[in-house]
Amino acid sequence: MSEQRELLADSAARAFQSYDRQRNAWHEIEELGIADILVSDTNGGSGADWDDACAVLQVSGRWQIAQPIAEAMIARKLAADAGVQLPRSPLSIAPDAAGTLSRDGRALKFSGILQSVPWGRDVSHVVTSLAFEHRTHTVVLSVKDAKLHKRTNLAGEPRDDLRFDAAEALAAASTSRESQHLFYYAALARTAQIAGALQSALERSIAYALERKQFGRAIGRFQAVQQQLALFGAETAAATCASRSAAIAATTGDAPFQIAAAKLRANQAIGVATATAHQVHGAIGFTWEYALRHATQRLWSWRSEYGNDRYWSEHLGRTVVARGADRFWADLTGTGAG
Amino acid sequence: MHAFRFDPVTLPADAPALRKEIREFVARELPHVPAERRANCWAVFDAGFSRKLGARGWIGMVWPKEYGGHERSALERYVLLEELLAAGAPVGAHWIADRQSGPNLLRFGSEQQRRAWLPGMARGEILCCIGMSEPGAGSDLAAVRTRAEKLADGRWRINGQKIWTSNAQQSQLMIALVRTGPLDERNRHAGLSQFLLELRTPGIRIQPIVDLVGHPGFNEVFFDDVVVEPHCLLGVEGEGWKQVTSELSLERSGPERYLSSFALFLELVRLAARVDSEALHHAIGRLTAELWTLRQMSLSVAGQLAAGEDPMLAAAIVKDLGNTFEQQLPALVQSLVGADVRLEDDSDLARTLALLLQTSPSFSLRGGTREILRGIVARGLGLR
Repeated sequence: MSEQRELLADSAARAFQSYDRQRNAWHEIEELGIADILVSDTNGGSGADWDDACAVLQVSGRWQIAQPIAEAMIARKLAADAGVQLPRSPLSIAPDAAGTLSRDGRALKFSGILQSVPWGRDVSHVVTSLAFEHRTHTVVLSVKDAKLHKRTNLAGEPRDDLRFDAAEALAAASTSRESQHLFYYAALARTAQIAGALQSALERSIAYALERKQFGRAIGRFQAVQQQLALFGAETAAATCASRSAAIAATTGDAPFQIAAAKLRANQAIGVATATAHQVHGAIGFTWEYALRHATQRLWSWRSEYGNDRYWSEHLGRTVVARGADRFWADLTGTGAG
Repeated sequence: MHAFRFDPVTLPADAPALRKEIREFVARELPHVPAERRANCWAVFDAGFSRKLGARGWIGMVWPKEYGGHERSALERYVLLEELLAAGAPVGAHWIADRQSGPNLLRFGSEQQRRAWLPGMARGEILCCIGMSEPGAGSDLAAVRTRAEKLADGRWRINGQKIWTSNAQQSQLMIALVRTGPLDERNRHAGLSQFLLELRTPGIRIQPIVDLVGHPGFNEVFFDDVVVEPHCLLGVEGEGWKQVTSELSLERSGPERYLSSFALFLELVRLAARVDSEALHHAIGRLTAELWTLRQMSLSVAGQLAAGEDPMLAAAIVKDLGNTFEQQLPALVQSLVGADVRLEDDSDLARTLALLLQTSPSFSLRGGTREILRGIVARGLGLR
């Protein structure tokens, strides 16, 4: 596991570091083979696990690649698991779907709205998950059938609303495990990207603190600044460890608890991290030109995406309280008895 | 940045069986412990319970059998520690011997010292205290002024004072950091040595200090012309700093650094089961995410220690975040409970809350202050 993970992360890091942000071409991402990373080898993918995938996603967050990498990974996996063929074009997912599927002869039609679809305007298809005829279905919709309402998140990443009116849909009843977890997969992927973006903001802040001089010395030599950056480092470490632990849990089985805890912990790290990054940078950090915003604007947006703090804290809290205090420790250590 | 590794750990295959064994033992031996005695339980002294743990082979678990140990793995010991702490078992009496004095003897002690003391420590009969802090040496440990001078016959004469020494009045041994060479301001870490001292030695006087909740847990320990044999020197003369810093890594990395307020968390969950409150759910959710993350981080450090690495930086991070969690928990609970819960109430929740509100500020002092830990992290980040 670990060796392949390191190799993947290293090659992704090299590719992302030299990625041409101006041209920003999807085919360059496609050539890396990472969009198919979660598709099983029998379905023509590389059969990597969530730990491997999250290593790549962390690096994509580290380099702030403005492409639907996480989304394509999940879309390809869910479609392949459901037996639906998709083109080698950029793809996205829509965990937030409101609408209905209906039969029209042999075809299936979808009417409804998919909200905040990442890169909705740039992708060919969107994969979502809907209840239909008492079963959860993985549903694939073609974006050309949608009425597009363009929106972007704080970092300028497309988050479009897609409205469909009796649009043709490909759907397959899926094992409940996969499709119910579309939202969890999305949260797990974002958590890995958050960890990467935190690392990049931290590295940039340290470098700046060592370079920027005031009162005759680098500001990073002042204890007050060091103590803030140390906490920033600790928060980054916590988010990274949480992300990795959840990825490993998802590799070996269902991990709703771990994914919820990891996304919430990563969300919490964003508060301290972005505040400290900007405090250390001073005014320059607030300019359009300076690159810090690529990390911090993403972090502010990603904190809200796929479960903000309130969503996951309520979910986790209710779960823990329903299970009861006497079961808590056994559950936490994975040794609970029912 | 690469120093910030928190690689995952796979616990040994027998961990579930061991947990079961420990949980059964605790349920049998400690049928009802009030919640406030389960809080911060590694500071709760119960010599009888320690002897029972010793008899089960649960002290000095990883030490060689020839010194009374049981040659279990470091990760099995981690499982033991987290189970005992989560259950709120009173493990304070032997905690120091098991965590650092014993390992210190194994690493630096002479054969004679090991044979003399380790089997008794493993039985839970020989209890230890830490002789580091002095009135003028807190965070700046190298400022210790207690002196040992070598006499003509090879024995040592010790004069000075230690302070904030937990459990000294109930312990047999202290490992003390003292100055054996002159203070060199350019190399303050030189000229320090460690001594293994029997506290009943003539000239040692122990005076309790009552803490702010009224417990006589701390002590001052005075050394007035205490003459000890040459074999009381621990390790190498002048190498005390190196020895003591390796001891600090052991001191900072364990699960006790985030579980001290765990008993109160469970009381909060019990409260939320009785009172349907959205605010309580949110708080419990956030605390759960933090607990889970801290456990993953702490486990990772345990794994690094087990692999023979010295994860000083990672341990400092876990202690800093863990202490913050332990401290924020009582304040958060106080802000959340209703007007019907008063601090002077006789309920588990109120008593535990009252105790932790008052004692938790010490959590980021003992074993290295927050400021010292963040200094270590800042150095790891390349800022110092």
